[in-house]
Amino acid sequence: MYCYLYDEFIQENKRFERELLKIENRLTDLGIAGKVSRLALFRNAQEMIRDEIGRGVSTVVVLGNDETVRKVIDVVADSDAVLGIIPVGPNNELARMMGIPEGVEACEVLSARRVEKIDIGIVNGRRFLTKVSMPHFHAEMTCEDTFRVTAVARQANLEIRNLANLSNPRDGRFEAVITAAVKNGWGFFGRTSMKESVFPLTSMAIRSDKPISLFVDGEEMISTRFDIGIEPLVLKVITGKERVF
Amino acid sequence: MFKDKKQTVMSHTSSNQTIIAQGVRVEGDFRSQGDVVIDGEVAGSVETQSSLHVGETAKIHADVKAANAVIAGEVQGNIFVQETLELMSTSDVKGDIVTSTISVAAGAQLNGHISMDQSAVSSRPKTTKQDEEEQA
Repeated sequence: MYCYLYDEFIQENKRFERELLKIENRLTDLGIAGKVSRLALFRNAQEMIRDEIGRGVSTVVVLGNDETVRKVIDVVADSDAVLGIIPVGPNNELARMMGIPEGVEACEVLSARRVEKIDIGIVNGRRFLTKVSMPHFHAEMTCEDTFRVTAVARQANLEIRNLANLSNPRDGRFEAVITAAVKNGWGFFGRTSMKESVFPLTSMAIRSDKPISLFVDGEEMISTRFDIGIEPLVLKVITGKERVF
Repeated sequence: MFKDKKQTVMSHTSSNQTIIAQGVRVEGDFRSQGDVVIDGEVAGSVETQSSLHVGETAKIHADVKAANAVIAGEVQGNIFVQETLELMSTSDVKGDIVTSTISVAAGAQLNGHISMDQSAVSSRPKTTKQDEEEQA
């Protein structure tokens, strides 16, 4: 049984009316039409989806963008349901990585139903699918409780990748990538180049004396300590042939 | 056109490969099952079940253990390699070495004992050094 979750922005914007109509017709033709739930200002997406899964929905399909997917990811990962995406509008990087084309063409991918299990990253109890980033990394990072990593370069960024930049979201690990600006040569003739360190890990902790910002799937978290881990193969997603992993 | 070729290669590495690049320092017991590339600073111990590549800019103050290793940088500590160890012309090693096969390029700096006893491959470098002294 399918449940389709329409994000608020695609209902309000008339630009998507024709596209939605095409999608609905195609879903009916393919025999995979289902119940439609619509997000609104004071409606909690997680509660809506939890209720639908309780009523026997086995596939939750999100019509929207990466932001819409983030709203339901916790509930879907905690259940046995499968997540599908029909990307509509801008900001659909997640769907691209899963090999799902935009708009009505995504219906064919849904119908083919190629289901893959993928890992989900977790930061201080909050799940993330793609990546976590720290623009100015000068904290101490303890990895696997056995070794510490620090950036000795003046400028460094940290990215923790699960489903991003060719990292494999099915290996039970995330990649901590530190990009440091290193100056080679002296004085005026010195050239700065970016050097990338990569650590495949299952757990790590970041500690700092002062509160620091971490962007989890684009949303900011501020704390002096972050505990990061991975939940292997907990999310079932429908993917296309063009997926990047 | 002006893209750093090295960085491009790094972005396409396998998910099990660890890269410790310049600008990063690692302290503690670092263990890996995949290939390890070190161009930065490491203090403590390094152990991998695959290949280890120590670049020219690397500074390692640690005991090193690997299946195969190519060293072009500075290592202060004992080196234990199960199969082949290659010391490049820019390498500077201060410590004992235990390996099955070794290749030393002209210009490599090496201060320490080398043991190529096949039976010593399964033991630690320190033990091998003691054995050598006893034999002498």
